[in-house]
Amino acid sequence: MTLADSRATRARPRASAARQRRQRVLAAVRPWLFLAPALSLYLVFLVLPMLFTLYMSFFSWDGLSPLSERVFVGLGNYVRAFAEDDVSRRAFVNNLYWTAGAVIIPTVIGLLLAVALNSLTAVNRLLRTIYYAPAVLPLVAVGLIWGWMYNPNFGAVNLFLRWVGLDGLAGGWLSSHTMALPATFFTYVWSHVGFPMILYLAGLQSIPRELYEAARIDGASRWHCFRHITLPGLMETHVIVLSLAVINGFKVFDLIYTMTYGGPGRSTHVLGTWMYFQTFQYYEAGYGAALAWIIAAIVLVVAVPYIRRMSRD
Amino acid sequence: MTSRFLLTTALAATVALPAAAQELRFFNVFDATATALWEPVLAAYAEATGTSVVSESIAGSGAAVYPDVLRTSVASGSPPDVFFMWGGTIAQPFIDAGQVREISDLYAQYGWNDRFPPWIIARLKQPDGSIYGVPFKARGMGLWYKKALFEEFGLTEPTTYAELEQICTKLAEAGKYCASFGGQFGWHTMRLVDYFLEDTCGPEVHDAINARAQTWDQPCVVDAFARLKAWVDNKWLVPDFLGVAPADSRMPMYLDNAAMVYEGGWFENVLAGDGQNPADYAFFLPPTASGRYHAFPEQWMIPAETANAEAAGAYLDWVTNGETHMAYRATFEGSVSDGYSPDCAAFPHACAWTEILTSDRGTYPPTDQAFEKELIDGFFEAQDGVVAGLMTPEAAAALIQSYVEQYDQRG
Repeated sequence: MTLADSRATRARPRASAARQRRQRVLAAVRPWLFLAPALSLYLVFLVLPMLFTLYMSFFSWDGLSPLSERVFVGLGNYVRAFAEDDVSRRAFVNNLYWTAGAVIIPTVIGLLLAVALNSLTAVNRLLRTIYYAPAVLPLVAVGLIWGWMYNPNFGAVNLFLRWVGLDGLAGGWLSSHTMALPATFFTYVWSHVGFPMILYLAGLQSIPRELYEAARIDGASRWHCFRHITLPGLMETHVIVLSLAVINGFKVFDLIYTMTYGGPGRSTHVLGTWMYFQTFQYYEAGYGAALAWIIAAIVLVVAVPYIRRMSRD
Repeated sequence: MTSRFLLTTALAATVALPAAAQELRFFNVFDATATALWEPVLAAYAEATGTSVVSESIAGSGAAVYPDVLRTSVASGSPPDVFFMWGGTIAQPFIDAGQVREISDLYAQYGWNDRFPPWIIARLKQPDGSIYGVPFKARGMGLWYKKALFEEFGLTEPTTYAELEQICTKLAEAGKYCASFGGQFGWHTMRLVDYFLEDTCGPEVHDAINARAQTWDQPCVVDAFARLKAWVDNKWLVPDFLGVAPADSRMPMYLDNAAMVYEGGWFENVLAGDGQNPADYAFFLPPTASGRYHAFPEQWMIPAETANAEAAGAYLDWVTNGETHMAYRATFEGSVSDGYSPDCAAFPHACAWTEILTSDRGTYPPTDQAFEKELIDGFFEAQDGVVAGLMTPEAAAALIQSYVEQYDQRG
């Protein structure tokens, strides 16, 4: 073996090791390269604004003046939201009512509709479309339409009630401090009931029919089948539906804004509308940022476990 | 007159020449009708000067939403070159934030001080004498009624508040509502409360409470809210109106269920747009002991950050000129620029309003132009509480005062 051969023999494993290292680095980097376009958009348009909002929540700033004019207030905006601002507390309570309703009512109706419309008949297909149709309408349009329907003078709701002889029930649905929020929530139910129905319909397809057949042979009633096969079989769907209901319940904005504008008085404000009013109408961008982070924190408490579970599955 | 108009146009062209072929963006609240009326105006300006003015309209909910859109545009570093704005506190946050150009120099350059009635310029001036807007229109507000309904019940325009109450009593006895309001955004109901405040408090106290120089929890404010409560309790107002949009509140009057609405000079065009014959309607100023009436200026402003300030000034000079207004009379209905007179045959109500607005008669501002937005929402909360029967007049007055104190305390 010549000296040159000996060097070549020693160099080969080194080159091979270098190539392997390069491949390992490339393998580690490659997924990030694929992710980079989406990730950069996500960072620029979501993460950075969120962090900036968090930063601004510790300042008093009108959102219009140069940023240099902000004044550090520490946790003052958060203290104000929880301890000093009556409307933010009322808005928080309204959010709780709304979320409780959103978790129960559209979910139960959606589940019952899904069970009722599970078989693939032509009528069921038509009814599924009808029930789901409101879910594809923009909420602003839904709010405006229902605002007119609730009009005390020429709205369809009161005209119908008077037509069927229930004149006593006809009234100012959105004008009443006590009825405005429930009336707006009714619109929410109307527009959102189709979504859980679709999810439950999808979930129902994953339950083996043999389970029902076996149960019926064993003499199980429809209720028993529903209680012991359908409900447990839809466990994954329940998690999705309920998590989304809680998240949407705290994010509610459009319907309140278009139908009541937070009124009468300030009785129907939710945290989302109050945050908007503070930021864009009262020029309290720092306080608005704090309210936004309160909403975000509440939503994240539900969303993070939900996302983890979904990712795992 | 034509030669003067051509001369003005030529002058505008000269000023704008260095910026030929440039584009100006102007924000406004024009609805479809107004947008159509403005198209030939902007086309003429473009033809005369080479400056294209692009209208960006945010129509719909009045002062409730437009300032938000404007604020977003300004804050994002992409302000328009010219924007529409109401007077008073609606404009104030933009001025305080240094986002609007101070235009005393343009007043001197173009002689704008001689172009408009003194009260309008005075209303636009800051306490230190600086000025940030040039008047677009002056708006007065009053009670519009259907003439046939008044004739049917033998009613005549009232000259005192007591007479107005008598009218409402007669109408209620006949099964008609005296007036219709849309309370959704608060500012429509506010007009009635403002009128009551002017009458019960008198001009000095009304101005003082608006300026927060006197407290709101005083007897005349309680009396004003007591009147509001009486109007609701007596069923003089179309019921359940707090959730009704202001535009929808006109329907009861069109259907002869209600006799009056509280609207401004612009209502003549609204009537025509709603398929009503404006000749069937008339208006009167809600009677007060002082004779003052509800009025406010609308103005054009130039953002501090625009790169086209010079061209924007030239455009504003052209667009507020009485000669321009005479060339497009329908577009500039409500103008109080010197040299403009409305087409009284086509727009008799506008004609009457111009006479009032250019007179020496005193005016008072709508409270939403005297109060900051946060405070006015407290005011709306109080008035809504009274209308809903959830709050006594005393509690309403006290609530407003408590909001004023909280606001002042925060500075």
